[in-house]
Amino acid sequence: MTDILETIKETVVGGKFREIEDQVQQAIDDGINLNRIINDALISAMDVVGKRFANGDIYVPEMLVSARTMKLGLELIKPRLGSAEAEKRGTILMGTVKGDLHDIGKNLVTMMLEGAGFKVVDLGVDLKIEDLIDTLKREKADILGLSALLTTTMPEMQKVIEALQSEGLRDQVKVLVGGAPIDQKFAEQIGADGYGEDAAEAVQLARKLVATK
Amino acid sequence: MDVKPDFERIRKTARFEEPDRVPMAEILIDYSIQSQFLGRTVTPDDLEAQVQFWSQAGYDFIPLTVGMMQPGKVTKESKISKVIREVMLADSADADKEEAWNLELTSFIKTRQNFEKFPWDVAAELEFGSFHKVNDLLPPGMQVIAISGKIFTLTWMLMGFNHFAEALIMDEQLVADVFKQVAEIQFKGLEEIFEMPRIAAVWVVDDLAFGTGPMISPQAFRDHVFPWYREMARRCHEKDRLFLMHSDGDLNALMDDIIDIGVDVIQPIDPTCMDIVRFKEMYGDRICMVGNVANELLRSGTPADVEARVKELLVKVAPGGGYCMGSGNSVPDWAQYENYMAMRNTTLTYGTYPIHID
Repeated sequence: MTDILETIKETVVGGKFREIEDQVQQAIDDGINLNRIINDALISAMDVVGKRFANGDIYVPEMLVSARTMKLGLELIKPRLGSAEAEKRGTILMGTVKGDLHDIGKNLVTMMLEGAGFKVVDLGVDLKIEDLIDTLKREKADILGLSALLTTTMPEMQKVIEALQSEGLRDQVKVLVGGAPIDQKFAEQIGADGYGEDAAEAVQLARKLVATK
Repeated sequence: MDVKPDFERIRKTARFEEPDRVPMAEILIDYSIQSQFLGRTVTPDDLEAQVQFWSQAGYDFIPLTVGMMQPGKVTKESKISKVIREVMLADSADADKEEAWNLELTSFIKTRQNFEKFPWDVAAELEFGSFHKVNDLLPPGMQVIAISGKIFTLTWMLMGFNHFAEALIMDEQLVADVFKQVAEIQFKGLEEIFEMPRIAAVWVVDDLAFGTGPMISPQAFRDHVFPWYREMARRCHEKDRLFLMHSDGDLNALMDDIIDIGVDVIQPIDPTCMDIVRFKEMYGDRICMVGNVANELLRSGTPADVEARVKELLVKVAPGGGYCMGSGNSVPDWAQYENYMAMRNTTLTYGTYPIHID
């Protein structure tokens, strides 16, 4: 990897948001392939950040500032990318299920998925199934990510999957579930396609699910 | 069953002594549970019935909330919600829409300008009516624990969690200033109640951790949150009051700090992510513990399951004092009444010191 790509990666990992734009501009001026800046520096940095977070070496603020730093760099590159150059990684709908207002975990996963290059449509909290179905049809999403913090709201995930089945959409979208009371066993019980224990694992799973879709 | 209130039970327990029996403690028991226990409807305004419930159920105190989160959580009636709806959204057509005022759905302080415009003076007008009224209702031996705090939670709720988390690094002074405003209002409430004779303790309810660990770094807690709690503990101890703390989540990374700032009692040793037996081995000679009967067990278990768990806690955690029986958070409306009663009855039946359960 060139020095400037390594520097950009370190800047994102360290959340040095004031320095990123000059460095990315330098990489662009040096003629480095734009997709290399994205993949080898920006997204690669967020993989490191995700692992550090999962290991408990950094906390939510550090992770969010790294993501913000990454986005600042990405914003400089985006206008220069032709549509053919922009790699399509997939579209993901994210939401917290009906009756549940908790969004910290859902927002972390959303941010990490964006950092990994996915297009994410955030449906917010207290998700109405009919709104979800409408958005799913409109966005033709590859993955639906569902979050729940409460044991009393986790059964809503099954209701969503049943609604997807009755609308004939179940085969078109992979369902990824997560949240404090959720585990792999529950995910399998309700017929979800995957369970992510944390934000980093959710990203790995999303990549895998899109690749096998 | 001895249900005569005696706050000395909790004091002894907090000093790692064995009183007559294991005390019970909760920050909140839903009114629906209180109503079933008394056989009549208990409402938020019916303080007499609430005192009757807490004393007859076997508690040595009644928890009363003071501060901006009165009456205890974000609801339409919460002090902070009223400030937002009646002052900040006074001219807005959206004032009645939940998404416009509920701090779980929206936030108000993103910039220095937002901070300066926030009606802090109105937010600081706290209510003490129930604290005055309760004096005439308390039976002998029963005291009040003032539920306060939420310095961390209220700050991030006012700023929105993501924005707060980013600002902690990108605009640290703004975060520090919001913390200071929130803390000073909460302290103002405490100053008033410290002058009241039946207030035996302050219980700060402020979730600091996720199930995976602290919500922000331990250093950020040391810089911005713990100094306020250290001061709160100092003022409590100066006035001979106990200082209790509630936090969900895995607190292991913060425990040395929590003990160092002067917290006497910690609740609930979140059963979804912490092992209370190991916790007692590590910290049990330095801090008193409350709780750990999982809320999920209270919701979906049977009374026999609850009885078995309570007996296990009595045997493994209660000997030597330093432990009060209670739920893994609070007792919500979705806890099964029979399971709540199993927790209570098992404690009263088998919790007499010295503990002997076959």
